[in-house]
Amino acid sequence: MATPTLDRFLASVAEIVKARDGAKLQDFLQIEPPLPDVYRQMTNELRQHHPSGPRETDLLRRCEGLVPKSKGSSWAAFPTFMKLYFTFLRDVNVDNLLETYDLLKGLVNQCVLALGDSQMGVIVLPTVLYFSKVLAKLAMGLDRRPELIAHLLRLDGRSNQDETAEKVTLVEKSANVVREAFIKCLTDRSGTPGIHGKPEGKRIGIYLMANLCLKLLFQCGKLRNAEQMFASISAQSPPLKYFPASQRVTYLYYLGRYLFSNNLFYPAQIALQASYDQCHHQALSQKRVILTYLVPCNIILGRFPTLQLLQRPEAEGLAEQFIPICKLIARGDYIAFREHLAVGSPETEWFARKGILLPLRTRCEILVWRSLARKVFIHGGFHGEPQGPNQRGPPPFLYLSKLEVAVRWIQSQHTVPAQKAYGFFASQPELDAQAGNNRVGSQVVYKQLDWDFEGVNDLDAQEAIPGPSLIAKYADFLAPDGYFDAQGQWQANLAGNLVDGQPSADYKHFELDPYASRPDLEPEDGKPTLMMREIESILASLLTQGLMRGYLTHKNPRLAIPGARLRGALPTGFPNVWQTIYSRESEDENVPGWVQPPAVTAVPTAGGGRVVNLSGARPVGVQ
Amino acid sequence: MSNTQTQDKAEPSQQPQQQQKPSVLEEDDEFEDFPVEDWPQDETEQGTTANGTDAHLWEESWDDDDAAEDFSKQLKEELKKVDASR
Repeated sequence: MATPTLDRFLASVAEIVKARDGAKLQDFLQIEPPLPDVYRQMTNELRQHHPSGPRETDLLRRCEGLVPKSKGSSWAAFPTFMKLYFTFLRDVNVDNLLETYDLLKGLVNQCVLALGDSQMGVIVLPTVLYFSKVLAKLAMGLDRRPELIAHLLRLDGRSNQDETAEKVTLVEKSANVVREAFIKCLTDRSGTPGIHGKPEGKRIGIYLMANLCLKLLFQCGKLRNAEQMFASISAQSPPLKYFPASQRVTYLYYLGRYLFSNNLFYPAQIALQASYDQCHHQALSQKRVILTYLVPCNIILGRFPTLQLLQRPEAEGLAEQFIPICKLIARGDYIAFREHLAVGSPETEWFARKGILLPLRTRCEILVWRSLARKVFIHGGFHGEPQGPNQRGPPPFLYLSKLEVAVRWIQSQHTVPAQKAYGFFASQPELDAQAGNNRVGSQVVYKQLDWDFEGVNDLDAQEAIPGPSLIAKYADFLAPDGYFDAQGQWQANLAGNLVDGQPSADYKHFELDPYASRPDLEPEDGKPTLMMREIESILASLLTQGLMRGYLTHKNPRLAIPGARLRGALPTGFPNVWQTIYSRESEDENVPGWVQPPAVTAVPTAGGGRVVNLSGARPVGVQ
Repeated sequence: MSNTQTQDKAEPSQQPQQQQKPSVLEEDDEFEDFPVEDWPQDETEQGTTANGTDAHLWEESWDDDDAAEDFSKQLKEELKKVDASR
């Protein structure tokens, strides 16, 4: 047989397998161009002597010789994998990336099967990782070039009759392959598994595979699929601290981002901070990506980045993004805050791309309201009687009507000509300035009146004469394109012609009215305004979250701050945000998905308080 | 004259900055692989002396108590007006 290169290659692989040298095997099984000359020679030999067809079984037989027989158990998946490797080299055409992807995916799949062997599997671990990385790179590259996979998407559309079935992208498919490898690593039964174990055997690959899989899942936006991975890691992985720094930092970064996107900001902050702390101090690019999420996470928790942090080289450009937000939170102008983080405004494009726009906008607004309430209290509240230790005056308080004045003033400040608004969404915040005029619904959030309810209130006074607006609204009913006459014949109708003549019905009863009562229509003396009701709810929310302390009185609406004699009204009523959140959240420092070494059980000390279990005790003298 | 000159000077330096910024921001969307596998504690961000424990990274007290700041000043005026009208 004239395949000298292939012969030598097979002989070397057999030696490597015998020596169980995984790193060397990976080094041998190259797939990425440009390949060294030896591989080209081998490819030529393969094309000549082992073309696709019946002679492939020949090739498989030669690969079977690679596995030592003496072990008793055969490692059947490995020869099949090697055969697939050779046919990959023989058939691959890197000009067709999609075809390359499919071939490679098959190869990785088979390699993962070989990894599953309890005795020999670990030998292919470095190869699985290397192949998976190439597969990931290819999938992500294809993902960025939709023109290359357009026909695939079309094909999917045709074969996928079930519209509800989710389409699986190449990136997600790759993530699924990598996840299989991850599971094989995690469930290695050799040695001590779980929290008491060490990274040995296939377990050394747990976080390598997890990180690659997470990278792909983040890329394709299927974060939910990561949940099971984190749960399995929590249940079965050795502690993270026994793994190399690069794996720890990468894993904690993805874990932090996952927790962040699940609104678990406190554990996310712990994971991201640890990732940043353990990162190599020269790894600017990685530190910067970590900060991109660590900073907003802290802002949401009530801690702002210092200039010392923002002036670090890895934070270049972050100050321009985050400082304005911090300033707006402290200022208390809620409309300016919303305007700044409006969807579609140029400033927010960066936040939107990073996936932190919505968390910042929705989670930080309550902090803005706290700042506003605080400022109104400073300038318009009753701060308590001038000191006299035994004096029993009323506690400090704030009339909520002053907050209402402040809100209306802010709204008046933001009433701007509509031309200034850009885009559909961006025009909303400016409209928030008009929310105080809403006759129903919120007084601080402007919502376009639903077309169905427009003019609801006007109908009361309306005679049964159809105005142009009524006809416009019910045109499809009053003046349809045609109708069926008494004989059941279709009769076309002239445009705008009222089929049933002038409508006489009182349409009021047919209007949908979602509001049970309308305070604006039945004004009652002494009843608080809609806005007052809303301010009460906002303050109640601040109080329940512990971001303000005190109580509300509903009649003659006030915020009262009792117990302020010692510390003063302001620190008592408006405690530090971070410290409040920290003291609540730090009760549980456990970060789901982050496996810690088992707690060292404290050596029991002699002394009281110990419970002695007497269930096994027997009466004296009884054998 | 001097005005136009300073403008001319300012423009070229501003332009490259504007062009650079988006690219700087876009490059790092991905979390890159580390070139090395492991490193000791003293090479970590936390372990380097410059960023020791006294590094002040996060500000917990950010309440804006500057009464001279525009928004606060105007708000104060507005609240006074209401008090006066009662």
